[in-house]
Amino acid sequence: MKIKIIGIFFCCLLLFCNNGTAQDKKPSFSVSGTMGVNYEGYGLSRKPAGWTGYTPRRPWNQVRFSFQPNFQFGKNFSLPFNINVAALPSNFAGPYSGFIPGGPKQNFNQWITNPVNNIAVNPKYKWAELQLGTQYLKYSDLSTGDIGIFGAGVDLKPKTYRIKFFTGTSQQGINYLSGPPTITGAFKRKNWMFQLGKEEEGKYNLAFNFAKGKDVPASSAPPPLTVKPQEGFVLSLVTDVFFNQGWYVKAEGAQSIFTKDLTTPLTTLIKSFKPFIDAHTSTVKDYAGQASIGKKSKDLDISVTTKYLGAGFQTTGYPYQQPDRLDYTLNTRFNAMKNKMNVVASVGQRVNNVSNTALKAKQFIGNLNWFTQFSDKFSLNVNYNNFGFQSASGINPFGIKNVSNDLGVNPTFTWANTKMNNLLSLSYNYSKYDERDVITGLTTSNNTHTALLTYVPTFLTKEINPDFSAMYFYNNAPGAKTTLFTISSALSMPAAKKKLQLRGQLQYTLGKLNSFSSNNNFIASCTVDWKITKQFTWNTFLTTNYFKYGNEIIPNGANYLESTCRTGFQYRFDTKKNK
Amino acid sequence: MKKIISLLAVIFIVADAAAQFQTNLVLSATPPAQLSDWGNRKEVLTFIVNAGAGLTPTFKIKSEIKTTDGTVIGTTDLANARTFTSSTATSLFYATDVLPLEYMIFTGKYKSSLAKTGKLPADNYILCVQLVRPTDFTPASQQTCKNFYLASLQLPILMKPSNGEVLDEKTAQTAITFRWTPVVPRPSTPVTYRIQVFEVMENQNPMQALRSNQPLLDKEIRGTTQFIWRPQLMFKEEVTDSLNNKNRENIFIWTIQSLDDRSSPIVQTDGSGEARSEPFVFKIKNKDAKKPKSN
Repeated sequence: MKIKIIGIFFCCLLLFCNNGTAQDKKPSFSVSGTMGVNYEGYGLSRKPAGWTGYTPRRPWNQVRFSFQPNFQFGKNFSLPFNINVAALPSNFAGPYSGFIPGGPKQNFNQWITNPVNNIAVNPKYKWAELQLGTQYLKYSDLSTGDIGIFGAGVDLKPKTYRIKFFTGTSQQGINYLSGPPTITGAFKRKNWMFQLGKEEEGKYNLAFNFAKGKDVPASSAPPPLTVKPQEGFVLSLVTDVFFNQGWYVKAEGAQSIFTKDLTTPLTTLIKSFKPFIDAHTSTVKDYAGQASIGKKSKDLDISVTTKYLGAGFQTTGYPYQQPDRLDYTLNTRFNAMKNKMNVVASVGQRVNNVSNTALKAKQFIGNLNWFTQFSDKFSLNVNYNNFGFQSASGINPFGIKNVSNDLGVNPTFTWANTKMNNLLSLSYNYSKYDERDVITGLTTSNNTHTALLTYVPTFLTKEINPDFSAMYFYNNAPGAKTTLFTISSALSMPAAKKKLQLRGQLQYTLGKLNSFSSNNNFIASCTVDWKITKQFTWNTFLTTNYFKYGNEIIPNGANYLESTCRTGFQYRFDTKKNK
Repeated sequence: MKKIISLLAVIFIVADAAAQFQTNLVLSATPPAQLSDWGNRKEVLTFIVNAGAGLTPTFKIKSEIKTTDGTVIGTTDLANARTFTSSTATSLFYATDVLPLEYMIFTGKYKSSLAKTGKLPADNYILCVQLVRPTDFTPASQQTCKNFYLASLQLPILMKPSNGEVLDEKTAQTAITFRWTPVVPRPSTPVTYRIQVFEVMENQNPMQALRSNQPLLDKEIRGTTQFIWRPQLMFKEEVTDSLNNKNRENIFIWTIQSLDDRSSPIVQTDGSGEARSEPFVFKIKNKDAKKPKSN
C-alpha cells in the first residue's frame, strides 16, 4: 500500500516536472534533480542441506526509491525535496533494531522515523530556510550531529547572524517482545536544538549551541528490559577565527548534563540545570573541549589538535561517542620537489580514563605516508602506521599491551609506446601485532605479509581496458596460520556506440588454514551501465560468489553460492538544460 | 539505686531489641561501576533482615562506603532516609533500599567523581550496612561489611582500519584485517566481540547506514582483538556514471559490540547503551586502475 502511494506520488511529481518543462512562459521557474528506483535481490544456496554455517548478509529483496527535485522559483525561492525510502525495514543496530521478520509490523510513525527512510523538504527564501521532515543536522562536533530527527525547524542567516532551531522525534517507541523473535524495544525520544551565532565566511564563526533529547518513559509497553529512558542536555560555544596566510584557530567548549535513567529518583544532591533538566540520582554533569591551531596553504598544512571528553560527557546528538579521553595530535602535509613529493604525517597520543574511574590506558598513534614521483616512469609510496595501547594492570599481574605496526612499500612503474600505456604496481605490506597476556605477561606476535602485483595495460587504439592482479596473503597468529592466494582480472569496454558501459571481473582465491585442506573461492561480477537517453540510465550490477570449504569445518566440503543483483533506473531532470 | 536499676533495665531492653535483628549482606565482588545501575540488577546487592517474632520493628538502613584504610567516603543521610517496617520475619532489601543515592552523602573527590561520572574512582572499597532505630539512630543490628572492587569497563577503541582510511580495492577484495583494543580492565570471563560492517548505500550517511542496514559482516569473536575478513565481494568501481552523478564510492562503517558471557551488552549505562564502540568509516578504492589514463 505504502509503495503504491509512493508510486502515485512520484508520478504526480514527475508530471508536474514535465509540465514545468512546457511552461516556457515562466522562465524564472525551473526544476532540477534526480529520481530513481533500485532493486536489490539476494540469493543464497548452502550445501549440504540443513547446514547453516554461513548466514545471509543482505535482505532477500529490497527496493529503494529516491526523489530529489529542486523547484526553483525565480532567484530567491527554492523548494528542494529529499525523499529516499525503502520498501522493507532492515534495521540491525541501534535502538531501531527490532523490525525483525515475523515480528510486529512497524506503524506509520515508526516507518517515517526509521533511518532507512528519509523524507524532507527544505523551502528556502533568500536567507531563510524552513526545514521539514527528517534532517541530519550537525551544529557542532560536541553538541549534535549524528542523528536524524523527524520534525520541523528553521535555519536563518540574516547578514552575519546565524539562528537555527529544530524540534522533532528521533525515535519512536517500540514495545519489548520476548519473542521469538525478540524485540529489544525502545523509548520514544523527542529532541530539540538551537543555535545562535554570528559568522563571516573565511573570517570568523561564533555560535552558542543548545541541544536536548528526552525519552518518553510511557511510550513503550512493555518497556525495554535493558534500555533505560534517558534525558540529556548539552550547551556548547564554538569559536573559529581565520587569519591571513592560512592560519586559523578553532575551539569548542561544551557542558553536558545527562540522566542515564529517568526512573531513578530526583535528587537535590546533584545540581539541576533548570529549566532544561532536573537532576536524578543517575544524572552526571561533565565537560568537553577541543581546540586546534594550524596553517593551511597549497604546499604546507600543519596543525596541532587536542580534544578532551570528560568521563561523564554524554549527548543524545552523538550516541556512540566514547567519553573519558584526551587526544592530542600533530598533523602535517607538505609537497616538495615541485609537487613530486607528498608527505602526510601525524603523531599523537590518546589517554583514556582520564577520570581514573577505570584503569588508565594510553594509546600512541603515528602515521606516515610518503609519496615520491622519481620520474615519469617510476614512483614510490611508503607508509607506516603505529598504534600502541597500554593500560595499568589493575587486579591482574600485568596490564594490557597491544602494539600494531604496519609498514607498506608500493613502487609503481609506467611505460608507454604508440599503442599502449602500461602500469605495473607492486605493493608489499608487513603488519606486526603484539598482544601481552595480562596473567602470564607473555607477548604473542601476530604477523601478516601481503604482496600484491597489478598490471594494467591501456590500449590507445582500442576501447577495452583490462587489468590483472595476483595477491599473496599470509597471517601467522598463535594457533592459526592463514594463507590466501588470489588471482583476478577485469575487463571494461563501451558498446552500442558508447551507450553501454560494460565491466566484468573474475577472481579466484585459494585459501588454507593450518594443515587443513584448501578452501576455494570463485567470484564473478558484471556491471552494465546503459545510457538510454541523456537523462535516463539503467545500471545493473550482478555478482555471484561460490565458496567451498576444505576440511576446516564440519561438515567437510560444505559450500555455498550467493548471488546479488542490483538494478536501477535513474532519471535526471533539469528544465533549464532541456530548453 | 533506683536510677541505676532503671538504667540497667533500659540497657537490657535496648540490647534485647538489637538482638532481634539478624542481618546478612550479599554483595557482588565486582559490581557495576555506575552506582545508579546497582538498583537495576538485583543480583548485585541483597540485604537480608530477620526480625524477631511478636514485634513490628521499624528501622532505617545506615550504609557506609569506606576505602580499605577505613576512611568513610559516603554515608546515608539518616535524617532523610526512608523508614522501613518489617512485616514479615525475613525481609529482603536491594540496592535501591540499601544504597539510596538520593540520601547518600559523599565527600571530597568521591563526591566530585560521582557528580561528574556517576562512578567512584577505580579502587577497592568496603560497604558496611547496619540497621538503626528511626528515632535516635541507635544501632538495631550488628554492622555487616563486604569488600568490593570498582573499575568501570572501557569499551574497545577501533584501531584498524582507522577512521577515514582508504583501502586498496584489490587487496580488500581478498582480505581486510580488523583490529581493536580489548575491554579494559579484563573481565573475569572472556569478552565476546561482535564485529559488524555495514555498507553505506547511496543517499545515506554512514551513521544512517549503521542504524538501518543489514550488516555485510556480523561475526562474534571470543577473546581476541583481531579478525581477518574475507569479504567475498566485488566492489563497485568508483566512477562518475554516465549521467555525471556523484561518485559511487565504496564506503563502509564498522563497529565492535562487546558482549558478556550472557550475550548481553557489557556496558549498558554509557553511550548508546548497546556497548558499541565509536564506529569508524573506511573506503575502498582502486588505487591503480586509472593511473595510465592521466599520463
